[in-house]
Amino acid sequence: MKHTTREERQWLLKNIAAGLNEYLNTTSPPVPVEELLLHPPAPYEQDFGVVDIFTRIWDATFVRPLNKKGSVFVRVDLPPEDRSYALARETLLALISGEYGRRLGLHETLLPYLNESADFFAAELLAPDALVQSYKAQNGKEEEFAETFRLPAHVAESRWESCSTLQ
Amino acid sequence: MSMQSLNNLVARSIIDPGVVHLFGEGKLKTILDDMEFSPPLRDELVSITASNWTDFAVQAYRVVKAAEAAAETQVQLPSPLEGLTRDSSWTDQEQVA
Repeated sequence: MKHTTREERQWLLKNIAAGLNEYLNTTSPPVPVEELLLHPPAPYEQDFGVVDIFTRIWDATFVRPLNKKGSVFVRVDLPPEDRSYALARETLLALISGEYGRRLGLHETLLPYLNESADFFAAELLAPDALVQSYKAQNGKEEEFAETFRLPAHVAESRWESCSTLQ
Repeated sequence: MSMQSLNNLVARSIIDPGVVHLFGEGKLKTILDDMEFSPPLRDELVSITASNWTDFAVQAYRVVKAAEAAAETQVQLPSPLEGLTRDSSWTDQEQVA
């Protein structure tokens, strides 16, 4: 694996999220991440899916049984903000570990940094720069940002901050 | 504009296998010809040796970023023809030692 900086990986993740939002034709929040997993772009038909389960151990995890379709297994009782964020995080693993993601070479660059990559990607997927800027331009309130974009409070806070420095 | 073109290309490749297919066949120039890269930058991007698409994308990011930084520096530096100050009316004045 060739060395990449965090900035380069974040640039890559931002564009992966942008590609998926282009597919979804997202024009307003919230980004329908569950729709993405249920009706994925053609290259990910064998990698994306959602299965609701009862568990107290984790929020969500991506599982791909050998030679079978992969799915994100998600706790059925999560609040909407936590659910969408958990699904978005696991979407990255589904994407980079699938056949097409491996063909792209994403696993070599991103798997060693999976945790930080998944958090960054999820925030970018659910709150793309353009939508956040548009929300702010329309005088969207910071107090309603998390609920509008379906982000957990701590993620909404940092995304709001990071987008305030955008030009 | 070049970085925006590269962003669009990488975003498209995530959902369009056609991009990666052409890249795999060594037809990167075909893709780049349709995009807003200057001819020298396009040549530099085509000459990148990469083990896979992601490797290409990251190297392309470095190339485009460096090109944009260089272009910005050129814009900021005064031309030697202007002298040491941009206020040509002042420099044109005769001065007493």
